[in-house]
Amino acid sequence: MTEEENGTSEGEEGKAPTEEAPRIGVFVCDCGLNIAGSVDTQSVADYAGTLPDVVWAGRQKYTCSDPGQMLIEDMIEEHDLNRVVVASCSPRLHEPTFRGTVERAGMNKYQFEMANIREHCSWIHLYDKEGGTDKAKDLVRMAVAKVRLLEPQEETKVRVETTALVIGGGVAGIQAALDLADSGFKVHVVEKEPSIGGKMAQIDKTFPTMDCSICILAPKMSEAGNHPNITLHTYSEVQSIDGYIGNFTAKILHKARYVTTDCTSCGDCADACEQLAPNEFDIGLATRKAIYIPFAQAVPSQYIIDMNTCLGTEPIACGKCKDACEREAVDLEMNDEVVEIDVGTVIVATGVDVYDATAIPEYHYGEYPDVITTMEFERLVNAGGPTSGHLVRPSNMKTPKTVAFIQCVGSRSLKNGHPYCSNVCCMNTIKDSLLIREHYGRDLKIDVYYMDIRAFGKGFEDLYNRSKAEGVRFIRGIPASITEVPDNHDLRIVVEDTSLGRVLTRDYEMVVLSVGMEAAHDAEKVQHLLTLSRTSDGFFLEAHPKLKPVDAPTQGVFLCGCAEGPKDIKDSVTQASAAAARAGILMGAGEVTVEAITAVVDEDLCTSCGLCAKVCPYHAIEVDTKAKTPAHVIEAACAGCGTCAAECAFGAIHQRHFTDQQIEGQIDQATASKAEDLVLTFACNWCSYAGADFAGVSRMQMPPAARVIRTMCSGRISVDFVLRAFANGAPTVLVSGCHLTDCHYINANQQTLKRVEKLWKRFDKWGIRKERLALAWVSAAEGAKFQETITKMSEIAKTVTAKEIKETKDIIARNYKFKAEKMARARAKKAGADPGAANKAKAKAKNGT
Amino acid sequence: MFKYGISGFESGHYMGESVYKPDNTFPQQIVERGGTTLLRCFQCGTCTGSCPSGRQTAFRIRKLIRWAQLGIADKVLASEDLWMCTTCYTCQERCPRGVEITDIVMTMRNLAVEAGYMQEAHVRIGGFLAKTGHLLPLKEPMMKARKSLGLDETPPTVLANKKNQELVLNIIKETGFTDLVKKGGK
Repeated sequence: MTEEENGTSEGEEGKAPTEEAPRIGVFVCDCGLNIAGSVDTQSVADYAGTLPDVVWAGRQKYTCSDPGQMLIEDMIEEHDLNRVVVASCSPRLHEPTFRGTVERAGMNKYQFEMANIREHCSWIHLYDKEGGTDKAKDLVRMAVAKVRLLEPQEETKVRVETTALVIGGGVAGIQAALDLADSGFKVHVVEKEPSIGGKMAQIDKTFPTMDCSICILAPKMSEAGNHPNITLHTYSEVQSIDGYIGNFTAKILHKARYVTTDCTSCGDCADACEQLAPNEFDIGLATRKAIYIPFAQAVPSQYIIDMNTCLGTEPIACGKCKDACEREAVDLEMNDEVVEIDVGTVIVATGVDVYDATAIPEYHYGEYPDVITTMEFERLVNAGGPTSGHLVRPSNMKTPKTVAFIQCVGSRSLKNGHPYCSNVCCMNTIKDSLLIREHYGRDLKIDVYYMDIRAFGKGFEDLYNRSKAEGVRFIRGIPASITEVPDNHDLRIVVEDTSLGRVLTRDYEMVVLSVGMEAAHDAEKVQHLLTLSRTSDGFFLEAHPKLKPVDAPTQGVFLCGCAEGPKDIKDSVTQASAAAARAGILMGAGEVTVEAITAVVDEDLCTSCGLCAKVCPYHAIEVDTKAKTPAHVIEAACAGCGTCAAECAFGAIHQRHFTDQQIEGQIDQATASKAEDLVLTFACNWCSYAGADFAGVSRMQMPPAARVIRTMCSGRISVDFVLRAFANGAPTVLVSGCHLTDCHYINANQQTLKRVEKLWKRFDKWGIRKERLALAWVSAAEGAKFQETITKMSEIAKTVTAKEIKETKDIIARNYKFKAEKMARARAKKAGADPGAANKAKAKAKNGT
Repeated sequence: MFKYGISGFESGHYMGESVYKPDNTFPQQIVERGGTTLLRCFQCGTCTGSCPSGRQTAFRIRKLIRWAQLGIADKVLASEDLWMCTTCYTCQERCPRGVEITDIVMTMRNLAVEAGYMQEAHVRIGGFLAKTGHLLPLKEPMMKARKSLGLDETPPTVLANKKNQELVLNIIKETGFTDLVKKGGK
């Protein structure tokens, strides 16, 4: 299929993309055997040399290496190249590298394009060298088509606000805040609980050093509380975050505490209060008053009233606390308030929640009093806990003589809880076993039931050995059930000792369930606040698992602590410092360059209809539909999703670096593919393209059917693009993007959904098989979904006959007018209402320049 | 060294003694016949702990799964243990890895019978089925008992209908069951 047949234009009024003729260099990378192992790179390079405007093509072992980059620079100089294609890995990995290379050689870095023949080709077609090689050639041809039309761009710089927002005040959030504050940046810490400190404040001792947890945390908490650069927002929630890297605006809800900062935490109010509630900090093992301080070391050291327990704000109802407070710090009239802050960077340190063991019926947690969880154990052995550190059975308040620990409760399970290892439970149990030894000696018998002991960290194996030397028995086998012995509350465990193959029935006075971690229950809310992604486990996804482990996919946002995955205190603190450093780099520079991919209006063609402004998620387009003034893009506010360009029916607004002509160039080359099961795939940069990359990295094999065209957002995919692909003869088209609530451009992918649904309706009406156009929401973590979708679509593509394709072409030709045609007519009209000119423009459009 | 085979290892020797010869195709056979979850097992023992049969006998369902994973086919197929499972599904219900243990036991029983390891009782009862189309033979006391209750001596099943009996026997024969029973057990 060529341009002549589909009646749409490639060049805008024949305007050359740049003044000079394209001179393209193509560099095909072996990537050792990563690509060359399953793609014949030499034949790809030879083929590239035959493409129009390609003046140099060759292959190299490692293009990203110094010699590889040097070759690019040399060839640019030697052959006077003005455009470069590198066919190697994902642009998400190396585009910045090669942009730097071509820039050094004096080229504009926007006249560079990558063909992803590794993640999207060699790695997913390991056993199909022929199919893989053909596909690689197609991908190179598509990249060459795009690069021919790429224009040089100038990047703009955006100021970065030198204030950071840290969401979550656990040990990770505290560390990140302190590091940034010490570097001279202002920091706002938002914590939903009345005090900062997080889970670490509840733990008795830490492994492997057996330090007292609160003793090492409290100084950090108070430092954060007193630091001149840190503002704490406790008992608060982030309501919304708008803006972009360097320029976020966050709305923070301060929930009413009913106690002012005049509070000296003397406790007179609580003494007077008669209303009781379970103490959350002690996991309900003790009570607190309605007016309370969460724990002795709380920061801020300020009481709070729990209105669900309090008799009410009417002083007439009770008001004892108010009367008792000499400082008059109790303010029953206090209201929630919302404050707005401007920040340049955001650190997400929202932590984890603990697995709820009641989900495993055979362990009877919550039913048998002496079956407890690790967190309850921590409070029971803690001197500040409900029993002043005496380990007692909840059933009779006596010290147990036998204790069993059961590992992996809610972890490593495909059935109960979560498939992942929670990372800390083995060492935590080993530490707990030694705590018991320390307090009660060898008379208290301890058995640990496990399937694998993971003692992988510094000093961990030592601690494990110490526990064994102390006579703690480690039995390899996961108990099948716990039953209570009638009368005495003893707990009977039935388990196979797998190393002996013997089934044991043992009675214990206390059983501790070593429960795992799970993603914070409000993680979804935080995810939507910042348009982050989460893995199937529920934890936040990093921009790159190895090389950008604390960067979120959203620029200017960083992750640390358990929000990113289960980890111990040391790792949380390490990661927090890393996140602070990453945020500090941005704020230290004070400005950041933004990609030159914003939208531009062609005032000649604009009819002031206002559609672009309507679909823009950022309100970055101003247009007066009444006064009929052309639309105007506020560049600083434009995030570069391209939804406006897809929506405009007249081609009057385009996205720089992702113009209609450039993308249509890719479409035309993709549909020229010989693959009979072709799945022309549109993928958004943040989720679905990354998901396809993830499939590649995971070596998920699929048929070589997909030809992926990357846009920043699926909102860029216009009806024109899809129909052009079908008019060109594509058997199937896949439009993919982020899940609806996870769009990186607020909600631009809602437009994607609307457009595809509209197309399906038309297909119904026109008699084109609907399943030939698919819409898939693929997150960056859903490589498997991408694999599944492509495999399925490839099967559908095989069922599309040549006759059907021909019919589709005819239907579209009869029923649809492409934008380019309309543009040509509009231009001709403006040019002077000369019918000859209109025809000429139309003819030009047909031929494609 | 003691080598097990699951993917291309040869049978090994341990302290000079020949040990089981692994059949690398065995786990694959189980997978292909529906036991796709077999290879997920990580031997935590939740199954054995849950097993009512194992509490009374030496049957260790975890070990049976292990032999199967390792491809020690003889150890599984010729094993009495294979028939000790009561198919109560408790292990399958509790397995943290989602291994379909009970279903895999059924698959392995089918493989055992195909390999000629049919239990004596099964040969007997299967013989009745192949001969009469009825699992239990109709004997004198039963006939008497029926008569005393005012019922026909012969129950209204294939036993009372020669034509239908022939049809059923034909089905049993065509499906290969008759031959299977004739082959019997080792």
